[in-house]
Amino acid sequence: MKNDYNHARPMVIHIDLNSCFATVEQQARPRLRGRPVAIVNRRTDHTMIVTASYEAKAMGVKLGMRLKDAKKLCPDLIGLESDPPKYRYVYHQLMRIMQDYSAHVRMKSIDEGVIDFSESTLAMQNRDLVDIGWEIKQRLWNEVGCAMNCNVGIATNRFLAKTAASLHKPNGLDVITGDNLRDVFATLELTDLTGIAGQFEKRLNGVGIFTPLQFLDADPVTLQKIVFKSIVGLEWHQRLRGWEVDKRDFPMRTAGRQYVLDGYKMPRAEVLKRLHHLCEETGAKVRSQGLVARGVSVHARSYSDTGRGWGGSYWHARSMAAVPFFSDQAIYEQAKRLFESAPVFVKEIGVSCYELSEPDESQLHLFGDELARDKSLTNAVDQINSRYGKRVVHSADTLTTKMVKEKIPFGSTRYM
Amino acid sequence: MDDETFLNERVDVVASFGTGLNPCAPVKFRRKNGRIIEISEIGLRHPTTQGNRMVHMFDVTDGGADYRLEFDAERLTWTLSLEADHS
Repeated sequence: MKNDYNHARPMVIHIDLNSCFATVEQQARPRLRGRPVAIVNRRTDHTMIVTASYEAKAMGVKLGMRLKDAKKLCPDLIGLESDPPKYRYVYHQLMRIMQDYSAHVRMKSIDEGVIDFSESTLAMQNRDLVDIGWEIKQRLWNEVGCAMNCNVGIATNRFLAKTAASLHKPNGLDVITGDNLRDVFATLELTDLTGIAGQFEKRLNGVGIFTPLQFLDADPVTLQKIVFKSIVGLEWHQRLRGWEVDKRDFPMRTAGRQYVLDGYKMPRAEVLKRLHHLCEETGAKVRSQGLVARGVSVHARSYSDTGRGWGGSYWHARSMAAVPFFSDQAIYEQAKRLFESAPVFVKEIGVSCYELSEPDESQLHLFGDELARDKSLTNAVDQINSRYGKRVVHSADTLTTKMVKEKIPFGSTRYM
Repeated sequence: MDDETFLNERVDVVASFGTGLNPCAPVKFRRKNGRIIEISEIGLRHPTTQGNRMVHMFDVTDGGADYRLEFDAERLTWTLSLEADHS
């Protein structure tokens, strides 16, 4: 464990698109530039805001706010429905630009990515990273559009590079080194640090840590034994000092999809159709990664009249199968069975597969023929859909579920 | 969101094909009602796939309204799919 700050030359660049989806819409529709824009997933006033432009944020509009409420704060707010293919295109353009500088690019989500120059060619390492940062900004303007801005952060590790990228939004470029680390931390709140919110903030407050500087000066044993109660505490001790602890990939553990229902008091048969649709999308996700699943988990958020207004609760159920499965039908059969014990009135449903693994072809199975037939049929349907378009072939049960639209792939970039 | 009209209207388009990052650029188009829209700016061009078929989406404006033109690269057809006026 290293107690001193990392004074090495910063070699990590973090690129973060500003209010990504709203900016892309402002790029696509020039007349929206400079105006408050909010992106929502559904064309209703009750829907939640996914992204707001900087102009909307300046008026107090926040993510997660209902469009109806946001319009009270900002009457000129323009609500637009999300357009995932457009955002996916910009994501691929950003990745293409970043990959021109290094083969070691890691996209963290649809709107941010990291270039690690420590493993780049010597010629690239010899260049000034600040120059590269400005060059990437310029290329984004030239190659995607003049409304596209990004924040660039440069530091010795991924965490500080991300922190640097959030210092001067929009369109900033900042460098955090071992020399200015304390000065930068002095300007931040504890919750400005990525990964510190809610419970972790309370735990830190519990041991007298209220600022990033106090966090930085904290004893590693306190962090490990009292605050985080695991090795995570030591990792934070290193991370804050600029040492790299986040250079790792996590295997895919679950794949799933959730959906806020398009109506209240929906008959169970209609809910099941939507659940079936989610199972088809989940199956496609699992198979797209060449994996099979062992478990299915379903959840629902229910609502009920408590007498003092509408209340709600969370329900979930899960089950493990004896043999791995991959077909939409197998997922739906399990999900449907689990859903029998779900609350009557639900407003949100979700399904996910877990215990994902590579298919084990070596072991012969008692029902081998049946499985082989299932696999051939599923592969044939996937191939047709890949060739002629998504959902060209699907279950007749989901013919009327067009309202369950494609979701913006937040977080994981596996399905991009 | 009520300011958007979704359409499926075949249109005649004058486009220029050149070199560079965006070699294809629609210049103006004529709608079914005979109205000619002169494009003042292309906001974004992004490709989408409908199965194996490539369709290029052009989000454009004439300064008064925003439009989306879809160019089907297999059938070589132009379709106006959106008209939006957020004034």
